[in-house]
Amino acid sequence: MSGLNVAYDSLIGFAYSGTNGGMVVYVADDPGVTTGMCEQDSRGFAIMSDMVMLEPATVQECYDYTKFAFELSEAIGAPVFLRGVTNVSQSHALLEYEERLLPVEKEPILKKDIAKYTKAGSAICTAQHKALISSFAEAEKIIRVKGLNELKLGKKGGIGIIAAGVSKQYLTEALVLANREGAAIAEENISTLKLAATLPFPVQELQAILQNCSVVIVAEELEPHLEREVYHLAYKLGMDTKIIGKMDGTYSRLGEYNAGIIAQGLFAATGKAVPAVLKGGITAGMELAAARPITTCSGCPHRGTYMAINAAIKHLGYKKDEIMVTGDIGCTILGMNPPFHTLWTEVSMGASIPIAQGYIQAGVTKPVLATIGDSTFFHAGIPGLINAIQQNVDLTVVILDNGWTAMTGMQVNPGTLQDYQKDPCQQVDLVKVVQGLGVEQLWLTDPYDLAATTKIMQEAIDTKGVKVVIARRECAIQATRRKVDYGKVQVIQEKCTNCKVCVNITGCPALVLAENSVYIDDSQCNGCGLCAQVCKFNAIQKEAK
Amino acid sequence: MKTYDIYIVGVGGQGVLTIGDLISEAAVKANIPISFFPTKGMSQRGGLVKAQLRLCSGDVGPSMPEQSADLVVAMELSEALKALPYLGKNTEYLLYGNVWLPTAAMLGKAKYPAKEKVCAAIEKAGAKLYYVEPKALPFYEGKPVRDNLFVLGAIMANTGLQKLLSAEAIAEIIAQKWPKAKAANLTAFNGGLNYGVL
Ligand SMILES: Cc1ncc(C[n+]2csc(CCOP(=O)(O)OP(=O)(O)O)c2C)c(N)n1
Ligand code: SF4
Ligand code: SF4
Repeated sequence: MSGLNVAYDSLIGFAYSGTNGGMVVYVADDPGVTTGMCEQDSRGFAIMSDMVMLEPATVQECYDYTKFAFELSEAIGAPVFLRGVTNVSQSHALLEYEERLLPVEKEPILKKDIAKYTKAGSAICTAQHKALISSFAEAEKIIRVKGLNELKLGKKGGIGIIAAGVSKQYLTEALVLANREGAAIAEENISTLKLAATLPFPVQELQAILQNCSVVIVAEELEPHLEREVYHLAYKLGMDTKIIGKMDGTYSRLGEYNAGIIAQGLFAATGKAVPAVLKGGITAGMELAAARPITTCSGCPHRGTYMAINAAIKHLGYKKDEIMVTGDIGCTILGMNPPFHTLWTEVSMGASIPIAQGYIQAGVTKPVLATIGDSTFFHAGIPGLINAIQQNVDLTVVILDNGWTAMTGMQVNPGTLQDYQKDPCQQVDLVKVVQGLGVEQLWLTDPYDLAATTKIMQEAIDTKGVKVVIARRECAIQATRRKVDYGKVQVIQEKCTNCKVCVNITGCPALVLAENSVYIDDSQCNGCGLCAQVCKFNAIQKEAK
Repeated sequence: MKTYDIYIVGVGGQGVLTIGDLISEAAVKANIPISFFPTKGMSQRGGLVKAQLRLCSGDVGPSMPEQSADLVVAMELSEALKALPYLGKNTEYLLYGNVWLPTAAMLGKAKYPAKEKVCAAIEKAGAKLYYVEPKALPFYEGKPVRDNLFVLGAIMANTGLQKLLSAEAIAEIIAQKWPKAKAANLTAFNGGLNYGVL
């Protein structure tokens, strides 16, 4: 979902222009927010851009519908959505697959069609919108012929169940549960509509089930998009069918569903109270669990940067909570968590710099800092920095340059070492980029050197104008993979007073408590040496190589 | 429709997903349809990791209903509590009492649950508890072995999963998967197999 959020700017443009070949947009929503940062329903985007939405419910369907989505996209000349949800997208299961087909065309097709691929001018835009709407209608027919949505009508006046995407996968199990727990429904009284393609709304099928049943259950995770359409159709048909879903309070807009949750709708339909065994689980005792805020890896260079920012703020005589430090997207945001609590905000890629500038221009007179990772800076930080330079604000920008795009899985970014740039890519020099923008006050520092980095942060904060500090040290995970050896760091047990200052300031997961002292878990420690630099008793030492 | 549902929780880096992988592979070899849904989230940075495995003959979705797990496995004492909603009256709960203190708990700034309280909450929820003592972890050539394989051994020795999968098949998969670490890994797995929790 976040993926589509941040790519949305171009989406409408693609939809309006349509496509030549097949174009499939894969998006995974995250009900329950187990992996991402938001719980939105991408079907809302599809509605807004008149795009087809296919919703596979199993690993096999993900495979099958991907193929169909390309065929469909080619047939209607418009992009098509394939929407997973976290549990479907991350599942592993056996798969039947076919031999891979590669495109027949070997050469790229260059087709000049200004009226299709530009937007300015109402005539062009209206024509594109018209074409888009008709391609959407065309898709409905193709989907029906393909038989993607399965309608099974039972006896008239019975119970209808409309289930979309992964929810349809729970139906069989939900019926078994309802049966077992006292809401048995005779099979012939059940009508089902299992939906794999939710947009365009399968109007004919929805009408058919509405007209056949006295009660209709709508099971779909997140937003009641389908359910609203069902209400709308019932109104148009003049039917007062009872509709069970989110809008009567049976289902939630939050979290992922399972068979137990779906079964609650069957109880509502039969007018029976939901038994306790289907109402979520036992939670008494869960509150005892220790909070486990995520932190930077042991040896993470960002740790040194946040320690230095915190120390600089303190040395300059400020209280920690009066100096605003904005954060950005990536591992860099972990500076929000304990023990640092350095960062105040996180919005979207590159937002750290303009937000900081906004605070300054709104009248904040104390120093303001912005922090941003190297990839994020290359991608979206540069325009904000240019703006800050143009407006000549007093702002300190800290670029945490770990050489990789760490948070999303160690992709190469423009600044990554040349050795890892695949031909014909070339490394872009971050320092030159910043200098090229006209930044005169620029410092390059190694966040593993706490004293030096702290001193530079103090200097930068104390200087007027736009200042940039580049804190450069490779991501610890990547350095370890590349076999960079920083040597061994150990706690001299006799010297350790067990004051735990090292744990308190670094929060490094490699520091563990022994009986009466701290010790370092060798399997986790990378030898960065940051903990040694805060120990007042010289109890943590690097072994001479 | 008959399902055997397994819910596993732990902290990133403990090998929760490896346990899931091994059970999945063994199920595939035994011709039992399987759905394996791991949630990694922020595992690399010490966050919660959970996995749901559904061994089933019919159509099921990836997430199991609450209060109905057949087997719950926890690799960490405090995280064990996160599985409570899945416990029902037929649940077997294998708890490996490893303690992985968050920094705040280390500093005494945050609470960490006592073993007795965790066990009591699990038993109160109606599950049958098997407690596996981390101190029992075997050594191989002077070093402690991988505890996830030890726990998997204990699972195979003590829980109903043994009715569906054979320990020999799993041992074979372990041996094939990591040929270089075969001896150490089998020491871990067999250590678990021989660990009587009752
Ligand atoms: C516009 C946009 N594209 C992609 C993403 C996905 N994303 C999240 S974090 C991240 C990487 C950040 O890398 P970097 O700034 O170098 O910080 P690091 O994780 O390396 O510390 C990406 C690409 C996003 N959030 N927004
Ligand atoms: S992956 Fe790299 S950058 Fe991210 S927290 Fe770990 S060491 Fe730091
Ligand atoms: S040297 Fe200290 S701070 Fe660095 S990884 Fe090792 S234990 Fe952690």
